[in-house]
Amino acid sequence: MAEAALEGSEPVDLTKHPSGIIPTLQNIVSTVNLDCKLDLKAIALQARNAEYNPKRFAAVIMRIREPKTTALIFASGKMVCTGAKSEQQSKLAARKYARIIQKLGFPAKFKDFKIQNIVASCDVKFPIRLEGLAYSHGAFSSYEPELFPGLIYRMRQPKIVLLIFVSGKIVLTGAKVREETYTAFENIYPVLTEFRKVQQ
Amino acid sequence: MATFELYRRSTIGMCLTETLDEMVSSGTLSPELAIQVLVQFDKSMTDALETQVKSKVTVKGHLHTYRFCDNVWTFILTDAQFKNEETTEQVGKVKIVACDSKLLTQ
Repeated sequence: MAEAALEGSEPVDLTKHPSGIIPTLQNIVSTVNLDCKLDLKAIALQARNAEYNPKRFAAVIMRIREPKTTALIFASGKMVCTGAKSEQQSKLAARKYARIIQKLGFPAKFKDFKIQNIVASCDVKFPIRLEGLAYSHGAFSSYEPELFPGLIYRMRQPKIVLLIFVSGKIVLTGAKVREETYTAFENIYPVLTEFRKVQQ
Repeated sequence: MATFELYRRSTIGMCLTETLDEMVSSGTLSPELAIQVLVQFDKSMTDALETQVKSKVTVKGHLHTYRFCDNVWTFILTDAQFKNEETTEQVGKVKIVACDSKLLTQ
């Protein structure tokens, strides 16, 4: 919500975001290697807010409230952290999980932290003719309204997947750095204006 | 049929255990028989809750901590409200331990 407020109050840097719209980061997925073998049952029994059901999934699912995230912790010592709203928050959360594991008596390190995916969304605030867009950008587009109501646009440079909806709402995914998200959106924005739906 | 020993920690279960302990130490009851009584208590509690308790309670509160391990859910709620048809009860802190009874029949 803080970011939404920020969007409205602070002027957008038009040299970086010519469209005047900055996609809002919604989810960051990161991985890190704690570099030690873990006893998942011991972790599930001692840590708070942990789930471990080895019949269903071979990892402990743990959550913290600040930053509000979920971690998947594997016996190999590898960990996946999801749900953060920024790169820094994702790293901070991953560090907090590593600290929890350390406190339970494991010699956890913090090796090879990496942002694996960034999901962002925005609203261009006008409706879009998806059929027209799909037809003229056939090489990149997949639009099957019977399967999914959005147009799936696979941009090559940067390599980002966009979900474009009739409503003008856009989801961008596949980025490793937020700039790829921003570039992809600035690339698509003129195309979206071209296929703006004229209201009767 | 196997049963959970979950209800031994309830007030009624603790009282029974205490009484049995006293009887065993005073020699009026054999330890084997005391164990048998406890096993019967587990069965009777499960049976009674299944067949004789019809009332429903809703619990609402802030989930402070949860855990799922060995097929047991543990919840710690703060500022919880217990509500049934007749009354509501406010509790500052409560721990809920829940097991899946289906696992016993497998």
